[in-house]
Order: sequence, then structure tokens, then C-alpha cells
Amino acid sequence: MIQFWNKRIKLGILTENPEHDEAFKLIQKEIKERVKKKFAGSLAIRMVDSGSCNACEAECNALSNPYYDLERLGIYFVASPRHADVMLLSGLMTFNMTPHVFDAYRQMPEPKWIITLGECPAMKSPFENSFAINAPAEDHLPITHHIPGCPPEPKEIIEGLLAFLRKI
Amino acid sequence: MRLIARYAKELEKAFEIITVYEGEMQREQVDKESPIIKTLAKQHPSAIWFERKMHDDFGIIIEDTFDKRPLVHQERFPKDTHPLIKDFQDKTLKEAAYLPYKYEEISGDGVFQVAVGPIHAGIIEPGHFQFSQAGEEMLHLEVRHFYKNRGIEKMLEGKTLMDAKPVIERISGNESIAYQLCWRDIVLQASRQELPLSLQKRHAFLLELERVIHHLTDLGFIPNDAGFGAALAYASKLAEDARRLMQTLTHHRFGFGGITFENTDIDLVPMQKWIGKMQENVLDFETWIMDIPSLWDRFDTTGTLSFKKAVKYDTVGVVARASGIAMDRRATLFYLEHGFVMAHETGGDVAARFKLRLAEVKNSLAMMSNFLEEDDTQMEIHTLQDGEYMSFCESSIGELFMAVDIKEGLIERFVVRDPSFVNWQALHIMMQKDIIADFPLINKSCDLSYAGNDL
Repeated sequence: MIQFWNKRIKLGILTENPEHDEAFKLIQKEIKERVKKKFAGSLAIRMVDSGSCNACEAECNALSNPYYDLERLGIYFVASPRHADVMLLSGLMTFNMTPHVFDAYRQMPEPKWIITLGECPAMKSPFENSFAINAPAEDHLPITHHIPGCPPEPKEIIEGLLAFLRKI
Repeated sequence: MRLIARYAKELEKAFEIITVYEGEMQREQVDKESPIIKTLAKQHPSAIWFERKMHDDFGIIIEDTFDKRPLVHQERFPKDTHPLIKDFQDKTLKEAAYLPYKYEEISGDGVFQVAVGPIHAGIIEPGHFQFSQAGEEMLHLEVRHFYKNRGIEKMLEGKTLMDAKPVIERISGNESIAYQLCWRDIVLQASRQELPLSLQKRHAFLLELERVIHHLTDLGFIPNDAGFGAALAYASKLAEDARRLMQTLTHHRFGFGGITFENTDIDLVPMQKWIGKMQENVLDFETWIMDIPSLWDRFDTTGTLSFKKAVKYDTVGVVARASGIAMDRRATLFYLEHGFVMAHETGGDVAARFKLRLAEVKNSLAMMSNFLEEDDTQMEIHTLQDGEYMSFCESSIGELFMAVDIKEGLIERFVVRDPSFVNWQALHIMMQKDIIADFPLINKSCDLSYAGNDL
């Protein structure tokens, strides 16, 4: 155990991109009045995979590794749509998942937003429309913002979330 | 004899049923007018999903099976629609009336059902787990998937192998390199060409790097599911380091588009240094994690899959090797010459699968060091010839199988069996002695793919 703590002290803090802290401070200030009541200073995201290859999910998981540490910005992933402000939607809206995506969206309290993540929900990935695919998601749901990439890198996801916050 | 895959294809007047065993293949033809076959599920329980899928895809009737429920097609899927039939060309489907799916359930005094999914609490892929519970104890679990079914088999029909590649590498993000290697082998078979040794080494290097990323991610998530978050912080840092290396080498963090027939020079010195550093970090992780008794208290004897059951259910990959089955598609001369040592454990529990991943990460890093070579070979691929081709690859989950028929230069039938497809079917027998709170831990210790399974 002592070895672990020695290493831990030697490694120090790994978190990168401190510029996000600054940007977020600015945005927080900018939109404070408008979102004070809605977000109470933090943004809760419900991730819904509607038929992706799991790369978008892996990148969202990477957001909580020590390099990115998303939660320091007050943005965090929640376990239920009922706790969420935003649905982060990845995947191709498969025929089999579509009713469940609608279900999750219905369960979210107002006001609510949807951000699409990656090329799939916008139907820009190399997949072709088939009987099993209902994408693009914008034909079925109100989409506020899109984060492009196949998959978007963690840094691009953070920047995309900040862009969304500027938008609303 | 291990069952690898069982699938159908449409001929002019008949359906051909192909059953692939370890070292053997059987073909059977049935008339299209009355396509009736017998089940293999009595000898091979894992045949059940293959056969249920065959019915959904082509309408083939499995006469004596005890499970006639749909597999891929869910509650709102139009009845009597079999999308893999050539005549089926619809691009959209209309939702049919909701027909409830009858889950396997145990009933009795005080027994209750817990339905989990398809959307889960964490950032995971969608799938459904139906538990029959007596208090905390799990009596039975039914795994139900195919929420992510994207119709990939149909999507690729009529394309050339080259045009199909961007889709193939995106079937399962965690196993992209493995899928690309299966594709590569089929291309080489069809062009009647041999791969130069240097390219073989580069591809093997990338496959091991993908395994390192995937295993490290799991080595963090498994302890995290037992409430030990520090391990996730440590291992996810290492996984991120490895993913960045993947980006340096393939210009993509998941290696999409990474397998080509061109070699690019790698700077050997920094690469060897990177591998050495990673080896050191993994060793530190190991000494630390092996010494935490409360963690091993959760791992030991949890989610046990006995050797006998692992054989019976035709399991592959990490799950099989942790239950004492010495089976790995990398057990070839090429890999053995570059330092491959088959990891194996006999416990069959979460602890065994965890230790097996650790051993494999160490072995993969050692092999990566041996695969390194300065080289810039380029290879021209000749015209692809028609025929039936099959290939295998040991992905980070287990044995991946791909079969492609090419007719007049275009894909006539595309079949892929992800290792998860067979291992999912063995999941329910792992947890009969455990409580429901152990489920995430057991599930994560197998870390199966949903996307690769659902296609």
C-alpha cells in the first residue's frame, strides 16, 4: 500500500486542458441568470445509446478518467432520465430502440434538451439506412445541439457541451 | 466438438444451413416451400440463439425446439417479416401491434421478478436482463438483447469487400482491429495473396494494443463495480495512455481505418520506451491490487462458471480461458515465435477472469515489443475472386468468426459471429449462487459486446 501512496504523490495531478475551467467560468457567468433556476449551477446528463458501436460510450467513460475529469466542471452523468436536464443521444436510433428512447425522453422533467453525439444519430456515419434504422434522430425528436465526430474525442465532447451551454 | 456458428443462406430454390464446428463443417439443404430443420440445442445449448435468429432472418422452422420465441425481432416488429430473404427490400418498417415477449420466469411463494434495462443506469450499451429473485438471491436470469440490431448483414449485401470495410470496422468499437483483421484475411483469401511478414507484425501489434486498451479498461471497471473506485482512476489513466498510442499509430483512437496494406515507419526507440513504462505501471498496479483483501473477498467464488459448463456452452475467449479451457486463436507458430504464452486460470470466477486479463496485458505488452520493426512495405491487392471465405481472429473478448460469400465481385452473404454471441448465453449459469448486487461485477468481468452481438 505504501508503494501506491508513494507513486500517487509522485504522479501528482494529471488533469489536462485547464482552459476548459476558464471557459466554463466565463459561460457560467454569462448564462448564470438564465440557468440559475434550471440547472442550479450544474448540468445533469442522461446518456442514451440508441444503437452505436460503443465507441461513443467509451469516450464518454473516458471523460471521467484523470486526464479529463469532467465532473470538475459541474457536468455529470446521471443514472435516470428523471434526474436529467439533457439527453445525450448516440447511435442509429434502431427500430428496436426507438420506443425506449421516446420513453426515456418522456420521463425527463421539463425543461429538457437533447444533444446528439457522434455521426450515427445524424446519419452521417458509413452505415446506410436499412429496415432496422430510424436515424436521423432529428426526424423524430427535437435536437438542440449536435457534437460531430466518429466518435468525438473526449476533448471535443467537452467543447461540444460548452457550445451547447452557450446556445441555450 | 465445439460449435462455432450455425447460420443459413438463401440459394435459388433452397435454404442452405451451415453449421461450423471446430475443425469441421456441415451443410444441409432444405426446400424453400417447407423449410424445416431439427434443433442442435440438445447437444449444444448455444445453438438456441443461432436457431432463433435463423427463424427471424429467413423464416426457417426449427421443428423440435423448446424455444420458439423471436430473438432479434422485438415486440413491435411486423409479423412474418424475414428481412434477410433476398426479396425483402423495404428500407423502412411499420411498427406492428405490441405483442408481449414471454420471459423465462420462476414463480413461487415470495419469488419476484426484477426487470433491468434496456437502458441501464451507467454509460453502457442497451440490453435487457430479467431476474427471478428470492430475496437477494438470483434464482434465474434471462438475457435478452438485439435492441441495437442495425441490420448490418443485410446492409453489406451487394457491396464490394472494399466498400464494406468502413461499416465492418464500426460493428463493435472495442474490437475494431479484430474485425478489420477478419476482413483482411478474407481479402487475402479472395485475392490469393500472402501477407508479408512485416505487415503481419504491424497488424498483430495493433491487435495487441487494442487488447491492452480493452483489458485495462476492464481492470479498472471490475474493481469499481465492487466499490473500489481508486482502481478505475489508475487503470483508466493507463487505458487512456494506450488509446493515445493507438491514435499516434492509426490516426484514430479506436483504430478505425487502421488496418491497411501499407506499412509506415515507426520510431522504435520511443515506442520501446513507451512499452517499458507501461509494463512498469501494470506491474505497480498488480502489486497494489493483489494486496487488497476486501476486493478479493468480492471477487473470489463470485460468478463461477465451471469447466464442464464452459465446455457445454461452447464459450470462447477470456471467459473460456478463465474456466480452464486452453483455447486461443493466437496459438499459432507466428505468435509463439513472438512470445505468445496462453494465459489460463481454473477458478472460473470473477477473480479468475480478472487475473487472466492482467496476465494477458503483460503478455501482450511483451509481444508488442517483439513485433516492432522498422519497415515500409506496401502491398497491392489483386482482383478479388468469387467464392466462400471464412476467417477467425482472437479479439479482446474472444474468438471472432467471419464468413463472406462473394458472387460477381459483390457480397452475397455476410455472416459474423462475435465472441459475445456465445458467451452471453452462458452468463445466466454463472450467477446461480450469487446475490443480485453481484450482477454488475459478474457482467463486467466477462465484458461482452452488445453491438457486436446484435449486429
